[in-house]
Amino acid sequence: MKSRLTLSVVAASLMLAMAGCSGAAENASDTASSAADSVSSAASEATSKTVTIEDNYGTHEVSTSPQAVVTTDNRSFEILESWGIKLVAAPKPLIPVTIEGYKNDENIVDIGNHREPNLEALAAANPDLIINGQRFTSFYQDIKTLNPDATILEFEPRDGEKLDAELKRHTLALGEIFGKQDEAQKLVDNFDAALKRAQDAYDSEKTVMGVNVSGGEIGYVAPGKGRFFGPIFDLVRLTPALEIENASDDHQGDDISVEAIAEANPDWLLVLDRDAAVSKDAAPAKTVLEENAALKNVTALKDSKVVYAPSDTYTNENIITYTEVLNSMADAFENAK
Amino acid sequence: MSKTAVRDDRTSRKLFDVKLLLGTAAVVALLGVSIFTGEYSIFSAEDGAQMFANTRIPRTVALILSGAAMAMSGLVMQLLTQNKFVEPSTTGTTEWAGLGLLVVLFFAPNSSILVKMVGAVVFSFVGAMIFFAFLRKVSLRSSLIVPIVGIMLGAVVSSVSTFFALQTNLLQNLGVWFAGSFTSVMVGQYEVLWLVLGVVVAVFFYADRLTVAGLGEEIATNVGLNYQRLLLIGTALIAISTGVVTVVVGSLPFLGLIVPNIVSMIRGDDLRSNLPWVCLTGIAVVTVCDLIARTIISPFEMPVSVVLGIVGALVFIAMIVRQRKNVR
Repeated sequence: MKSRLTLSVVAASLMLAMAGCSGAAENASDTASSAADSVSSAASEATSKTVTIEDNYGTHEVSTSPQAVVTTDNRSFEILESWGIKLVAAPKPLIPVTIEGYKNDENIVDIGNHREPNLEALAAANPDLIINGQRFTSFYQDIKTLNPDATILEFEPRDGEKLDAELKRHTLALGEIFGKQDEAQKLVDNFDAALKRAQDAYDSEKTVMGVNVSGGEIGYVAPGKGRFFGPIFDLVRLTPALEIENASDDHQGDDISVEAIAEANPDWLLVLDRDAAVSKDAAPAKTVLEENAALKNVTALKDSKVVYAPSDTYTNENIITYTEVLNSMADAFENAK
Repeated sequence: MSKTAVRDDRTSRKLFDVKLLLGTAAVVALLGVSIFTGEYSIFSAEDGAQMFANTRIPRTVALILSGAAMAMSGLVMQLLTQNKFVEPSTTGTTEWAGLGLLVVLFFAPNSSILVKMVGAVVFSFVGAMIFFAFLRKVSLRSSLIVPIVGIMLGAVVSSVSTFFALQTNLLQNLGVWFAGSFTSVMVGQYEVLWLVLGVVVAVFFYADRLTVAGLGEEIATNVGLNYQRLLLIGTALIAISTGVVTVVVGSLPFLGLIVPNIVSMIRGDDLRSNLPWVCLTGIAVVTVCDLIARTIISPFEMPVSVVLGIVGALVFIAMIVRQRKNVR
């Protein structure tokens, strides 16, 4: 009996190993096909102009007519898609569902998500420009090693820098590279206008709390450093309903009891729905908050003073998303006046 | 029949004594502390009483039910395997429950807590049965091999869960559910926990038979016990409590291990009179751990599984070391 069991364990592990091999074989064939593509792209490169772009790693001479563009940066997808830029490869599971031009494009090579990236497929797509960022920042060195001929840019907001300036830097740099300076400037202007509106409409007497709803649990988003809404507290100069030292900048927010939220009794709630970005049918944050018996007396929920970030925010935190959120905050603030 | 009556009479006299009364009083006091610990100022706020009913009472009830249920299922598992080192989290049953929950959430993300619970219970039942079936094939039943087999089995199941979650973008949700936490226990979310009360009652009912089963299959069969059926019932009880607690609270590691061992260290191995003590100690341990978890970084909370994990790991190691000494 014992030996039969051992046998089946061995068989199972062999099957697993074989599954792994077949994956590798697929990659090899990918490499072969896209090596052919690269010859044509190299030929036209000689005629193109270059611009000097400064990113997180220094200055780069960047061709203004890149032939094969790859981006791993969630903040770049929406902007590039709206400018009609073609990609050769991208981490498709990370592309927000709202960006259909990329999400549904069969020609874009999928390099997997950040937990299991297929960096070989990225290299096999033979990019000459890679815009790296967000969930892929930790792979910067690997990507650089695997793509020695490509220009790799990264505009991930830097620690200690103001987020609004960082978002603008990212947008304007993309505009430079792809010759869309006017469009980029328009995005920046829209953002500035939205920020101004939100600042003007906000009554600093009213307290605000940011929360992140994930898996039916409510997490606390710290002013200043929490995911997505943290910087908005600084930008719009919001008065936090609850300020705690040593709060983490954890992306899920801190585990907090509903009692603490009820005790802080915020006048406004800013809600990031993490699950909405990932799964279409997940329990929406709205039900989690509104059907919570312990929260029904909180001013923000009683008076429906809740601002929900767009459902794709969690995977689409670029200047456009921030502009949308600032505008809906401004609308809500103005209506409450 | 008359014989049973006589024996019951004897044990019930032993069941209720002054010590148990004192123990109960201490646990009730502890629960009192728990019920008045929290962020909301229930005395000064207008809706204080409402908040009290909505969060404090459910939380304390959840502590009682999950503490007692996990301690009991630990005890039942230890009797059925004749091993002091097993409990749902060292045999992979908790991991199976998590996998069940994940499967339900993948196929029906908006399903009610009852459906999730059924998924978790079914999977933990299957998982516990696989563990028992596995044990029958292993000839080396030394006290350390059994939990090692269980922990390995759990690791395999949990890696399957992780892979599945990774592929379906549920990885973060998996983390949220698994971190045993009473943060979200409130009216409307915890009611299924009352089911485990049935488990506690059933364990009391089967106490004597389980004691006999603890002597091993051969002896149990010799004295006329339907061992197979008892194994099935025991597994079902373990599965129900593990499944329900995993869905409502999350994993409470080592609870079922620490409690029965502490009780038997102090009181010896008389199951029937130990049962109330196992319940009480289970409640006390989980309440103390939850009090630590919710005050240490207030107003935030630490998952109670972290506190239990630390305490439990220390007790686990202490037990192994102690056992080694005894052997020498």
